[in-house]
Amino acid sequence: MISGITILCFAASYAVALALEVSRLLFRSGVRGALMLGFGAAGFLAHTAFLGYRAAAVTQAPLSSPFDWYLVAAWVLAGLYLGLTLQYPRTPVGLFILPLVLGLIGVARFLADQQPFARGSASQFWGMIHGAFLLLGVLAVLAGSVAGLMLLVQSYRLKHKMAGGERLRLPSLESLERAGARLTMAAPWMLALGFLSGVILNQVNHHRQLDDVVPWSDPVVWSFTLLLAWATAAALFCALYKPARQGRKVAYLTLTSFLFLLLWLGIRLSIPSEHGVSPVVAAPLPSASQAGGPA
Amino acid sequence: MRLQLVGCSHRHSPVAARERLAFDAAQASAALDGLRARFPASEAVLLSTCNRVEVYTAAEEPDQGPTHAQVAEFLAAFHGLKLDQIFDNLFERSGEDAIRHLFMVAASLDSMVLGETQILAQVKQAYDLALARNSTGPLTNQIFQAAIRVAKRVASETSINETRVSIPSVAVADFARQIFERFDDKKILVIGAGEMGEETLRYLFDEGARDISIINRNLQRAAELAGRWQGQALPWEQLGRSLAEADVVISTTGATSPVVTLDQFRRIEAARYQRDLFVLDLAIPRDFDPAIGDCLGVYLYTIDDLAEACQRNRQTRDKQLPLARAIVEQETTWFMAELNHHATGPIIKRLKQGWQQPKEDELRRLFSRLPNLTDDDRRQIVQSFDRLINKLLHPPLESLRDESRHGTPHFLLDALKRLFQLKD
Repeated sequence: MISGITILCFAASYAVALALEVSRLLFRSGVRGALMLGFGAAGFLAHTAFLGYRAAAVTQAPLSSPFDWYLVAAWVLAGLYLGLTLQYPRTPVGLFILPLVLGLIGVARFLADQQPFARGSASQFWGMIHGAFLLLGVLAVLAGSVAGLMLLVQSYRLKHKMAGGERLRLPSLESLERAGARLTMAAPWMLALGFLSGVILNQVNHHRQLDDVVPWSDPVVWSFTLLLAWATAAALFCALYKPARQGRKVAYLTLTSFLFLLLWLGIRLSIPSEHGVSPVVAAPLPSASQAGGPA
Repeated sequence: MRLQLVGCSHRHSPVAARERLAFDAAQASAALDGLRARFPASEAVLLSTCNRVEVYTAAEEPDQGPTHAQVAEFLAAFHGLKLDQIFDNLFERSGEDAIRHLFMVAASLDSMVLGETQILAQVKQAYDLALARNSTGPLTNQIFQAAIRVAKRVASETSINETRVSIPSVAVADFARQIFERFDDKKILVIGAGEMGEETLRYLFDEGARDISIINRNLQRAAELAGRWQGQALPWEQLGRSLAEADVVISTTGATSPVVTLDQFRRIEAARYQRDLFVLDLAIPRDFDPAIGDCLGVYLYTIDDLAEACQRNRQTRDKQLPLARAIVEQETTWFMAELNHHATGPIIKRLKQGWQQPKEDELRRLFSRLPNLTDDDRRQIVQSFDRLINKLLHPPLESLRDESRHGTPHFLLDALKRLFQLKD
């Protein structure tokens, strides 16, 4: 039964896939690849079914609450993991992506009891745009940081003549640099569109004299502004200064973006905010546990 | 069942003998047609590479198919040679030994360069050609499909075909390819005209490198090397500018002091914009100041670094070899048991058929005496009879399977034929 799927189901599948990825560093096995893909795919299917069930049960889903938003982000990254593993079966991309997937699921679990974003108003369209572009921007930062971290590891191994072993096969420096630079350039566009749609959403709510208007002084807003400012600066640096598109500088830029993202997330989780809080829950909304969410 | 191989390989015969017996694609097709015409009851596959020529033949019955001598005669006649000209260079294997040999060959455990991957493609090609010429049959199909599967298993469960042991191959496969995704858009600079440099160039060329510059104090030698690799020869004075533009540098000069010092490199560093640079310093004494390796984006490898990697690969390969051989041994045992059991198939079929007729006669008699049985009762009775037959047949079939592990169980098969009066 789909309604019987819980967060634990797919989180456990991803955790087993991650453990199998780690075991690559220790020994060889003929069946591990199939097992890893099997657990990854099982987790992804359960994850998809869970989100599908929530979309059917909650009209605003999939981006209608912080809980759903983080689960969708984890779902996209899990899909990226599966795609890359199928394309490059010998590269342990899961070592770098699956911890992020599990981290996002953990944040979603942490926010499971938060109220959904405002619904039922005419601003729902702008709300969806806002959520979708923020999601894309955050995913670009996360994927960029994965490329950056892999780049640093690979560069260290090459500098110390450690490459060539069969245990940890990473993509070439060239492809990691290219991916990191492209994601660094793409992230601010997505984040900026998310930010702008948020401003429009706020204005719409203000004109309609609704209560869910977020002030500029809100910690989520200013910490996100910091993230956006950094991502824009990094992209400009990349575009205008050629060495920043090559070598380890790309990695430093992507990892710094990741730190700003963590700062934003930390503030989002720890400081009370008016952002995304619905003043009135228009209709009864199934809780995460009712929707097959965490028990 | 008669299964055998006759052939020559780098282990048993010199290159001249192998050349005499080699087949190109057209000749291989003609040879397969010839084998089929001369030995119609036999299946055949012909594997011909630069290191081996092997003819695999198989027939369902032991007295069918060619003998070793007949295959040797066929090979000699096909190439217009006398048998005594090639006989000493041939080797032969039969039954389980032939299977084991093919598995070893496909898994590249019998190759001159252990673990090279080309042989599996060649085995597949040989099998595909035999399929196309209609010279395969149930036995060779099973054997070659199993060989391909075994080779893949060895490749996935060991790293035998991932370990390179020569300095140029390690330099390109284990290091250069970790830095660059592709080489067709990279600038390759060779400093000096040493043999090792040219060997490395060969690997880079295979990877797609085409923009090649050779720089040497003797411009004529540079031009000769450049001519062989469709590159350009540059005068020594352009070293700095070439270094600023290069992505891969191979240095093999005989200079007694570094040809590129840290100061010289610092002067061109800005022009590189910290672009990745792979430097392969194969000269002794070294051509590049080792401090250059600490510069941003520079990956400098000396011959000692590469020799260390080669040694590490050799040790890895040596550790993997027993594991790979154990896989081949295990697969051979399984395959032979399956093949031998397969040979008992016709007897088992006849045995089962022999019990069907009495069962049906008894059922007919029983149903005529009990006309009031419902359809469900009848179905239950039929199922009981089937279960009884299966239980009665289970011990002899199990014994056959057990005996098949050690070869075709001729004694048991004869006994079953006589006891149950099974006719061919």
